Amino acid sequence: MQKLVLQFTYSLLVRWFLRLIIGVQFDDSKFLLKEEQFIIVANHNSHLDTMAIMASVPRKMVHKIQPVAAQDYFGKTKWRQTVGRFFINFLLIPRKRGQSDLQDDPISQMIAALDTGNSLIIFPEGTRGEPEKEQPLKPGIGKVLSLRPDIKYVPVFMYGMGKAMPKGDGLILPTNARLLYGQPTTINKPKISDILQQIEADLSDLKAKMANHSN
Amino acid sequence: MKDIISLEFLKTPELAVIVGLIFGILAVVSLLFFIISKIKPRANIDELVSRTKSWWIMAVIFVAATVFNTTVSYVALAFLSFVAFRELYSLLGFRQSDRRAIFWAFVSIPIQYYLAYIGWYGAYIIFIPVMMFLLLPLRFIIKGDTEGITQSMSLLQWSLMLTVFGLSHMAYLLSLPELQGFAAGGLGLLFFLVFLTEINDVMQFTWGKLLGRRKIIPKVSPNKTWEGLIGGVICTTVIGSFLRFLTPLSMLEVLFVSFMIAIAGFVGDVVMSSIKRDVGVKDTGSIIPGHGGLLDRIDSLSYTAPTFFHLVYYLAY
Repeated sequence: MQKLVLQFTYSLLVRWFLRLIIGVQFDDSKFLLKEEQFIIVANHNSHLDTMAIMASVPRKMVHKIQPVAAQDYFGKTKWRQTVGRFFINFLLIPRKRGQSDLQDDPISQMIAALDTGNSLIIFPEGTRGEPEKEQPLKPGIGKVLSLRPDIKYVPVFMYGMGKAMPKGDGLILPTNARLLYGQPTTINKPKISDILQQIEADLSDLKAKMANHSN
Repeated sequence: MKDIISLEFLKTPELAVIVGLIFGILAVVSLLFFIISKIKPRANIDELVSRTKSWWIMAVIFVAATVFNTTVSYVALAFLSFVAFRELYSLLGFRQSDRRAIFWAFVSIPIQYYLAYIGWYGAYIIFIPVMMFLLLPLRFIIKGDTEGITQSMSLLQWSLMLTVFGLSHMAYLLSLPELQGFAAGGLGLLFFLVFLTEINDVMQFTWGKLLGRRKIIPKVSPNKTWEGLIGGVICTTVIGSFLRFLTPLSMLEVLFVSFMIAIAGFVGDVVMSSIKRDVGVKDTGSIIPGHGGLLDRIDSLSYTAPTFFHLVYYLAY
């Protein structure tokens, strides 16, 4: 049931809304079908980011992909949690690290989700930044990848989402936006800072590719 | 309810002819490219082929949106304005504090097309040039971010004029009153305008490629040559005279109007080129393969639509 609802919502409703009304140009994502499991890492400027990524993946795998979200924000009320679990299929993690017991640890929660076979969407910048500005990456993604080095990460760069719906403004404004996929990649080195550097380089490559393409 | 699918073009032979002509030309061109690719497999016509493919899709969408039902036509044309406005303003570097004013500008699109739909000419013709012109700055002022406010106010009004006011003249053609002895009606005029504008684009492009040597405005658009312009204007004027059956005009008037469409189309094209050059992009978007953004395709229309509308309005109505 949830699978059908998610597929209908994202691959049809959200996808066409973003395409026709907002003006998002999606990238071809058929290559993802070849991957069994992956972690999508993307820049983060807007609530639309999650919607756009979920709408961009192949329909067959929408229900197998869980966006990782902050518990204190998206799990604020019981209602939000239930609706979000069903319609966004998110994985809630606590944002404050190192103060709770192992069960509550965000890293082990993400590992547990991966071990069930699901893929994840992670915004390593953490919270949404100012439109079209990147922030330094948080180490969580590095920890997860170093613990599960066989799982590939897929960089995704989005432009314009923060202009369509920036942080702290509920008004959605149509604006030409774009989502670009990078290659699925495994990590080269186990060191967390190296992993973060690798991802950062991939994301800025995509950003450059996007700028070149539109020129 | 009987008007949901009215198939206007089957009842009016003039419209059937132009629709047949559009698809006939596309079929011939596609066949031509197919033969060329068979004879000379190395000929570099990939871009032309993808352009033609897009022309097919655009022609089908346009014909479907106009001939079935007039109400649908207004909605489709409003959507065209919406996408064009979205593309243009996205290029122009507005500030984040301009979002509310831009939202007002978006709201003006359905209003402008509604005024065209109900045929209230007086309100339609002043809504954007006067009312929005006076009203939009107010929204900027309420927000109160004065640094760069003059530029934002001007850009927004200018974008609305080009993509909403200009293009909405296509919709008002459909609201013109019926004329005795003129069967093709507003739909005929709309087909005349759109067909001739696009033919003019293609003709100027083709003549420019074939003979183009002397550049007109190399700083703005290096592909625009005198040979292309003159060849295009002559062809467009001649082709326009053959399409007289779509208009209520006399032969002399049709020649003049077609000539003006050719000139206006050229101006619209280079105006958009200059903006793209200013903001440093090649295309305004990428929704039409081979053509770029929607605005790349309909930039001439935002100039030819008002030109054609007001000429016809003066000459025949």
